[in-house]
Amino acid sequence: MINGKDTVEEALRKAKAKKVYLEGNFVKLLAKSLPTDVKAYTEECKERDTKARKKRLEVNKRVQSQNKELEEAAVVKEALVLELQNALDDAEKLRDEAVEDLDLMQKRTQFELIGLIVRVALIIIVGVGVTTTLLYTTAMLADKDTTILGNAWSNLFGILLTNSFSIIGTIMGVKYATEKNG
Amino acid sequence: MIDSILLVDDEDLFHLVFEDACSLLDMTLSLEALNSSDEADKLFKQWFEEGPIDERPECVFVDLNIIGSSFDGIELIRKINNDYGNGVVIGIISSSDDNQEIEKAKAVGAQFWIIKSDEIEPRLEDFLNDYSGYEKKTAPFKVYK
Repeated sequence: MINGKDTVEEALRKAKAKKVYLEGNFVKLLAKSLPTDVKAYTEECKERDTKARKKRLEVNKRVQSQNKELEEAAVVKEALVLELQNALDDAEKLRDEAVEDLDLMQKRTQFELIGLIVRVALIIIVGVGVTTTLLYTTAMLADKDTTILGNAWSNLFGILLTNSFSIIGTIMGVKYATEKNG
Repeated sequence: MIDSILLVDDEDLFHLVFEDACSLLDMTLSLEALNSSDEADKLFKQWFEEGPIDERPECVFVDLNIIGSSFDGIELIRKINNDYGNGVVIGIISSSDDNQEIEKAKAVGAQFWIIKSDEIEPRLEDFLNDYSGYEKKTAPFKVYK
């Protein structure tokens, strides 16, 4: 142990014997005019301190450089996340637009189909009506028996009228429901 | 050798790097490091108003952007030079090499600008060679790249 009454030289000798090496700038403060054995010890301390500092400096520089790289990577990551979020938002927007387009297309197809059905139904109704009426008129003008034809005409006309109203009603209903949902 | 140095920088790791580099270059025996410009401002104010003035460091290295401080390094230099009696060798040590900032620092009385990099020792060595000029206020403002 180093006691308070020990001189600097004695203290240094004790430290040397215990292989305790001084560190830091304190070593630089020690006088150069020390006895040879103590001077050799302080020189060794300086050498060891320089080595340790060099090593620590390299390690700290490496850590500093890695920290910098990590900070840069974090910035890049943040930018990528933002870019991905924007891309996701765009994709969702496009999907919504596509769904809307598809819905509109389906509605248009439905309307086109309804139009076709209406046209065909009207052609059949008008065609059958005209044909039956012509037959009935011809039979009446030719003074032929019109009992069966008359009944058939009135029945057919009644059925056709009823059906045509039924078709129109269905079409109006479908159209109303579609407009309300759309 | 510089009698005493004060480093004002928010990065603790750089305190260690700077301390070791200074020690290896035999720049100084006394180095103190602070994390904020507010702390440095408080100390300089105290030295200026209450003394002792000789407790002030001989040379001050200030970081440009000191995170967690009320003001940046340039403002600290302005305060030390204008409000607290000047008298110290002072400059910026920063990773930035922004010309606008360099001009601002020069305008408030910074004497040098050292760019932080992995190879800080050669720059500090050059600075040490020019130091007597800074001390005598004869050396022109210099950027150490």
